[in-house]
Amino acid sequence: MRPLRKQTLAGNVETLLLAVLETGPSYGYAIVRELNEQAEGILRLGEGTIYPVLYRLEEKKLISARWRLAENGRERRYYRLTAKGRRALATNRQQWQMLEMVMGKVLGFPKGRLRGSKLKGATI
Amino acid sequence: MSRALQKYLDRVMIYANRNEADAARIRAELEDHLLKKIADLETDSLSREDAVFQAIEDHGHPRTVGYGLRQRFPWVDVRTEGTARGFVAIGPKAVGVIALGGAAFGLLAFGGMAVGLITFGGLALAALLSFGGCSVALIGFAFGGFALGLIAYGGFACGIIATGGGAIGLWVPQAGKAISYFSRETVPHYLQYFDAFLTTKRTFIVTMLVFYAMLFPVLLVQGILTRKEYQRIKKADPKLVE
Repeated sequence: MRPLRKQTLAGNVETLLLAVLETGPSYGYAIVRELNEQAEGILRLGEGTIYPVLYRLEEKKLISARWRLAENGRERRYYRLTAKGRRALATNRQQWQMLEMVMGKVLGFPKGRLRGSKLKGATI
Repeated sequence: MSRALQKYLDRVMIYANRNEADAARIRAELEDHLLKKIADLETDSLSREDAVFQAIEDHGHPRTVGYGLRQRFPWVDVRTEGTARGFVAIGPKAVGVIALGGAAFGLLAFGGMAVGLITFGGLALAALLSFGGCSVALIGFAFGGFALGLIAYGGFACGIIATGGGAIGLWVPQAGKAISYFSRETVPHYLQYFDAFLTTKRTFIVTMLVFYAMLFPVLLVQGILTRKEYQRIKKADPKLVE
């Protein structure tokens, strides 16, 4: 499968990072590794390009950061989701489910692939 | 730390162009990322040299990473590649309050293609005032080789009120070749107010003077700031501008 195009991904990396941080505090390298593992090669990000996104999320107070001592004795910057970030992630997740439902219906994806059951009655 | 890694981080930070405190924090974080990655790659049985090379490659081009790390919308953003964003933005593509570039988008935009409130360029699209080879001002004054606007003035002008070598409009006060909906006898008074303004030689001269009075200082500032940016990069790492 061809990797996702940059335009398709634009604006959605923030949501992906929030989702990775939902499971607990993490640092840049681990976040990238986690993303790449979950994306199974469909998504290929330049590792350095996630930092501007992380800083932007921090500015928006969707995540917070603090330095902690890592296992190798170096200072490492850990990011964690804030309450505001959790709410933003929930909203984004719902938006994506609605989009998935619409795209699935219009583009004709098999029904089994859709997870629209929670969205009955959702206004699009 | 390896020299290659050091050099890579130096280059990223040259493009990032952050203040000392921010630069130190960002650099420390990137360094930690790369060292951790190298350690993991070495565990996967890569040689140290290969691991460093691989980690750097996966991290991204220093210019891409560095530009991404620039302050968001600073007072002045000058870039040699990509899109500059700032109060004053200068680059191949520029987005700002004052934007100067190949393609410029701003309140005041100058460029090969300029889009904004007041624009100057080869192709100038503006809401209020546009000057250029091909200029379009939807609700304002367009002046150019080809001018399209509420008031259009140019080699070929097309608008509600149009004047030029050739002109098409509701009212064409003066033109070499004119297609006008109203004639001098039928034109409403409120459209005639523009006659004096559009038909005198003084208007043309004043418009040209305004055009050049705006253009030359802007080109000068653009040249100075772009050169300054090149010099800054060259001074930090001459190989980056070779």
